[in-house]
Amino acid sequence: MDLRVVIGKRVLNNPVCVASGTFGYGSEYEKLIDLTNIGAIFTKAVTLNPRPGNEPPRIIETPCGLLNAIGLANVGIQRFLKEKMIFLKSLGCAVIPNVAGSTEHEYKEVVKILESSDSVFGYEINISCPNVKKGALAFGTDPVMVESLTGNLRKITEKPLIVKLTPNVTDISIIAKAAENGGADAVSCINTLIGMVIDIKKRKPVLANGTGGLSGPAIRPIGVAMTYKVSRAVSIPVIGIGGIICAEDALQYLLAGASAIQVGTGTFIDPAIPGKTLDGIKDYCIKEQIECIKDFHKYIK
Amino acid sequence: MVQFYSTILSNSSIAKDFYKLIFSWNNSIPVPGPGQFLTIRVTDTTVPLLRRPFAFSGYTDSLNAASIIYQKRGIATELLAGKSPGEKLDIIGPLGNCFIVDTNIKRIIAIAGGIGLGPMVFVTEYFKNRDLDIIFIFGCRYKVYILHSSLFSSVTPVICTDNGSAGFHGTPVDYLRTFDKSIFSESILFACGPHPMLNGCHEFALEYNFPCMVSMEQIMACGVGACMGCCVKSVKDTGFARVCSDGAIFNSRDILWT
Repeated sequence: MDLRVVIGKRVLNNPVCVASGTFGYGSEYEKLIDLTNIGAIFTKAVTLNPRPGNEPPRIIETPCGLLNAIGLANVGIQRFLKEKMIFLKSLGCAVIPNVAGSTEHEYKEVVKILESSDSVFGYEINISCPNVKKGALAFGTDPVMVESLTGNLRKITEKPLIVKLTPNVTDISIIAKAAENGGADAVSCINTLIGMVIDIKKRKPVLANGTGGLSGPAIRPIGVAMTYKVSRAVSIPVIGIGGIICAEDALQYLLAGASAIQVGTGTFIDPAIPGKTLDGIKDYCIKEQIECIKDFHKYIK
Repeated sequence: MVQFYSTILSNSSIAKDFYKLIFSWNNSIPVPGPGQFLTIRVTDTTVPLLRRPFAFSGYTDSLNAASIIYQKRGIATELLAGKSPGEKLDIIGPLGNCFIVDTNIKRIIAIAGGIGLGPMVFVTEYFKNRDLDIIFIFGCRYKVYILHSSLFSSVTPVICTDNGSAGFHGTPVDYLRTFDKSIFSESILFACGPHPMLNGCHEFALEYNFPCMVSMEQIMACGVGACMGCCVKSVKDTGFARVCSDGAIFNSRDILWT
């Protein structure tokens, strides 16, 4: 069985990855699971300068979901390279830093600095964080800015450029096409949906940020529908994300047209979910006599 | 930390809405200390979705058993209260850091508010054989929350109630003010309970110039330091600290109290 996934000029060993923001810098889960079996670790977003993140409370559980407004809390690119990459590169699995910024300059600087590391497989460009005051999401909702940013990053690197799409737009396929036109090698689909929970006793939003990004099984049908739509609008690989907590969920994304998937909130529920998901995909392929993971999209009726 | 399936040994009510859960803790798994916690996935379904954190209330090496004390107050703890001996629990633990005592300390003042009781029971058991004086103060709203004395094998708790329906009428911090202040030199204050009580303990320890360690609480998602969701405000570094992996036990002087 061929589980490999081609993204740009590089190849992932298998299609089950872990999503940015849910897996720290990898070492947090080292004692709990075998990290070498993961297709790729998409790291916590990294920005040019360290970011403390938003005021607490930052998270609240919702029906079958999780609302978060972390605010891209991270150690900044210098500490990321000096401290976090050392562990990540020892793993042998693909490491894909998630790159965020408030200006095009910041995105470019972070990618330029990361180019010095041979251990970086590629980049996930975060143009879709709903929880920061400027930048990120603003880039992700404007197709002209998406194409321009992607194009300018394309000039800096030959490694896979994966643009992470926001679902908080009227037509996600327009943004996906803009990323493809800018030279992206793949798109991640989807980031979180904007949501709010209000404390009726205090009469104010629960999260200090007001709104947050909704993830978890509650958004899975939205992620599957958007993956279906985007994979028909572009010819580059789509990486499906949103509410995957078992192999059956991942298989929906693969049938919808995803070339790979990311487990996010599912890892919080049970760190064994990424591994179990990969095992379940293999079992399905054997049972259904699917030889090649890249052919999956052909099987939807 | 380890993820494993534990077997429930007993799960019984100990006061109004308070339960004590005792479960197997094989000696191949790292030994939990006072102040540490675990997370439990209480259901295989998606409601509730996230694992829930609970502080250890004890660990008995000879019985291969650990325990938590929890309050039934939401969907997760209602499901937990419905579980019976023999059922399996999906556990990750032990997590977080421990209450520790420096060699110059002669006395522990352990203050528990409400469901903050569990880790303080563990503290009194854990340190009982050291050459330390232990004062245990338990604060609650009114007397229905008072727990059976069998829970406290090593010390007799001082009970404080907000409405005076039992024990001392007032908060644990009010009770501290009845002491001769000389008692606080060579003492350390350990506290677990509601945020205002922890803040009160911090201010008291600051006023009388002795150390105070607090067990902080915040909604958690991963429990292992990855998601940055459970941060509280800190006076150090970035201004935030993760309860799950930087704590849950903090020097109260490192917290930015608001």
